[in-house]
Amino acid sequence: MSKRNSLLFNVVRSLAAIAIALIVATFLVFFSSTSTGFLEKLADTAEALEALLVRPFIKANGTFNSKAFLDVLASMIPIMFTGLATTVMFSANQFNLGSEGGIMLGAFIAALSAIYLPLPTIILPIVSILLGSLAAMLVLLIPATLKAKLNISEMVNSLMLNYIIMYLINFVLTSYVADRSKGQLVTHQIQKHAALPQLVGGGSKLSVGFIIGLIAVILVTIFMYRTRWGYNIRMIGKNQEFARYSGINVAFYIILAQAIGGILAGMGGAVEMLGRYNAYDWKALPGYGWTGITVAILANNNPAFVPFAAFFMSFLGKGTELMSTYSNVPNQLLNIIQAIIFLFFAANNFLSRYRQRLVVKSAEEEMASELGGK
Amino acid sequence: MSEQLAIEMIDVTKIYPNGVVANRDVNFRVKKGEIHALMGENGAGKSTLMKILFGMEKPTHGEIYVNGDLVDLSSPHDAISKGVGMVHQHFMLVPSLTVAENIVLGMVPRKKGVFIDFKEAIKITQDYSRKYNLPVDPFAKVADIPVGMKQKVEILKALVRGAEILILDEPTAVLTTQETRELFIELKNLKEKGFTIIFISHKLNEIMEITDRMTILKDGKSVGIYETKDSTPESISRAMVGRDVVLGIEKEKSNPTDTILKVRNLNYVNAWNKQMLKNVSFSLRKGEILGVAGVEGNGQKELVDALFNFIEVDSGEIEFKGESILNLSQGQLRSRNISLVPEDRMLFGIAANASVKENIISDRSHYPKYNKGPLFNMSEINKDVNQLVDDFLINCSSLEQNVGMLSGGNIQKVVVAREFSSNPELIIADQPTRGIDVGATEFIRSKLIELSRSGAGVLLISADLNEVMELSDSLIIMSGGEIVAYFEDTKGLEDDEMGRFMLGIDRQEDSKIQEVCYE
Repeated sequence: MSKRNSLLFNVVRSLAAIAIALIVATFLVFFSSTSTGFLEKLADTAEALEALLVRPFIKANGTFNSKAFLDVLASMIPIMFTGLATTVMFSANQFNLGSEGGIMLGAFIAALSAIYLPLPTIILPIVSILLGSLAAMLVLLIPATLKAKLNISEMVNSLMLNYIIMYLINFVLTSYVADRSKGQLVTHQIQKHAALPQLVGGGSKLSVGFIIGLIAVILVTIFMYRTRWGYNIRMIGKNQEFARYSGINVAFYIILAQAIGGILAGMGGAVEMLGRYNAYDWKALPGYGWTGITVAILANNNPAFVPFAAFFMSFLGKGTELMSTYSNVPNQLLNIIQAIIFLFFAANNFLSRYRQRLVVKSAEEEMASELGGK
Repeated sequence: MSEQLAIEMIDVTKIYPNGVVANRDVNFRVKKGEIHALMGENGAGKSTLMKILFGMEKPTHGEIYVNGDLVDLSSPHDAISKGVGMVHQHFMLVPSLTVAENIVLGMVPRKKGVFIDFKEAIKITQDYSRKYNLPVDPFAKVADIPVGMKQKVEILKALVRGAEILILDEPTAVLTTQETRELFIELKNLKEKGFTIIFISHKLNEIMEITDRMTILKDGKSVGIYETKDSTPESISRAMVGRDVVLGIEKEKSNPTDTILKVRNLNYVNAWNKQMLKNVSFSLRKGEILGVAGVEGNGQKELVDALFNFIEVDSGEIEFKGESILNLSQGQLRSRNISLVPEDRMLFGIAANASVKENIISDRSHYPKYNKGPLFNMSEINKDVNQLVDDFLINCSSLEQNVGMLSGGNIQKVVVAREFSSNPELIIADQPTRGIDVGATEFIRSKLIELSRSGAGVLLISADLNEVMELSDSLIIMSGGEIVAYFEDTKGLEDDEMGRFMLGIDRQEDSKIQEVCYE
């Protein structure tokens, strides 16, 4: 199949997955509506869908909904980082799920650094972000090394590691760094000059972190497609036997991919922490790592597509939030819609008949041209 | 129709989702009560055709008749219900269960409809075992029984399920000589009882011994049906590999200089406890092509794996330019200018989902000229890859096209473009032209000669007699993991003579074989 045909197939497939998810969502909204008459239910559904799809952009009065839109952009920040982290690790065929724990640890370490380190303006946030990244990297090196050296499943290890990280943070938070003067479990406030500057005023929480995220997207894309290290990582993911036969040091690059994943996840946590919060108070895994996996899959493991996938997920999040505010639809619906999209993207055989027709067509064309050529 | 057909497959074509055309309009007819061989090189489409017959793959188009009825086989279950059974090359047994439990798996006899009737299971096993003369121990755990018995269990499993047509996928690949002999007696016995057997193999001697007729596949197409009694190993191998193609490659006389590769006393026992390499020793000089001929599965694969460190040999020494290269990583081997054209190009030779460009630079992405600081020097890479695509006549729509979308011949050209362009001093070419078109074959062969004449040492492993005879300056023949013959010059060698060595009928004097070991 030609490159153009496979691109066409992927586009059709993505749109179809989204369309089906929305159709299912429509039915769910319709049946969960509390109104009685059919027409009323229909009106409710239309209203809910409008809230879901249009409200994040446009207010009810027809003007641009800048607040909602900035929220969408702001909530892209952490999932861009975890999406990138997952992209790099999945590219090497390493199903490391540790970006969830990585982002939590990155946030925690960056917070501690921003609270306690006596560093000047500009230096403090930079050092805090770097320390957060480093911490997450070191932690993800555990499943990475175990995989490379002893062939222990990185998936199981990283998954369990997430909970170890979570409980360890909770332990340190409760025992050592909690602000006792507060009613709930939270650290002391971070130093004012550690906070990342906001891009726009008005409490939108769209910080410089967004720019850092976009820069990370560009750097990771260049790394993956324009350097020998990224190339080797991708070759291992495409065919590990081939990589080994070609003389690529497979163990080293398996570790490298996960170390980079750790850095990105940790950086995401640090940026989110310093861009949005005054003090650290996460007590459970934040879920950004899981969303990052969805983002990586939507982006087809291509870092350049991560911002679009992150935007889509973030947009859906805001849409369902507005939907639950303005209509009677529960916002658990988001999870259902997400799950359906995820299902169709992850299902290798979705539309496989359509794909098979394209393949058969081009194979037959090739056979015909072969015969003609002889 | 005078004779009744057990199986008739008409115009079966299979195109896999990755675009590989595995079968093209194949016609396959098996008479009732015969042992019918399905032959062909690796990748000729044998397995795909049998998977279709056993309901594991759906054909893209084509019709299948079993005992004269048109059938639609969409799962192995369908195939079994039509009386088709298959014994896979890799056994499908549960190691922790007993033989009897494995045999009744999925059709367990019940006591009062609930409890498993173990006694009945053992009785069934013993009955069938006796009836078909396939002795097995019903109480033994499958994990504890030898390979030969596992195969009997597989055959019994098919028989218990009412199979009248048995497909055996390379049944002798894992068996010792004695076990093979035993299997053949059992198969003849089954044939007398009226069973139809389809026997997949590429071992000529086995085919000659046991089958009545054979269908030969080549490049996914059926070459024809032959009566075994009217065939000779030569005529079969000709049909299989297309030996009639006249190559007429002109090669100047070799002028070998220093010894570049010294292999001494390699021994290797594989996971099934079969000795695959027995004291293999030879030397290879710069400027010559040393051919390794032999029927597949006689240690050639293991020899290559040992040379490129894919397996750890039990004993022996490998020296390259006077230095031991045993257990060096593939990267270290490549930095010493050793190249390998691997036998299995789809698994080792390429990454199908990566582009032509990415596949060509896989061994050289670290070259200083391809890197500017941390970044790739794309213009330099593109320039060199473009040059290689031109030089090696690779037919691709662009450098970005995925290699998996190319034809077999072009895929192999991508592999050799990489392996031949890294200034190799030693080239190991393992079945370099298997299953590819004539044009690409000729091209690759002339490149191999060109490289050897400009000073590289070439070790050519090929099951294709034509190829080893035409290309090699000198030749060794492997049989049963040993080198059984050495010919300094391939001129004037007769096929028959070689065939006798390859099949293990003849063996040269040790002193003659040792002549291939020089300093």
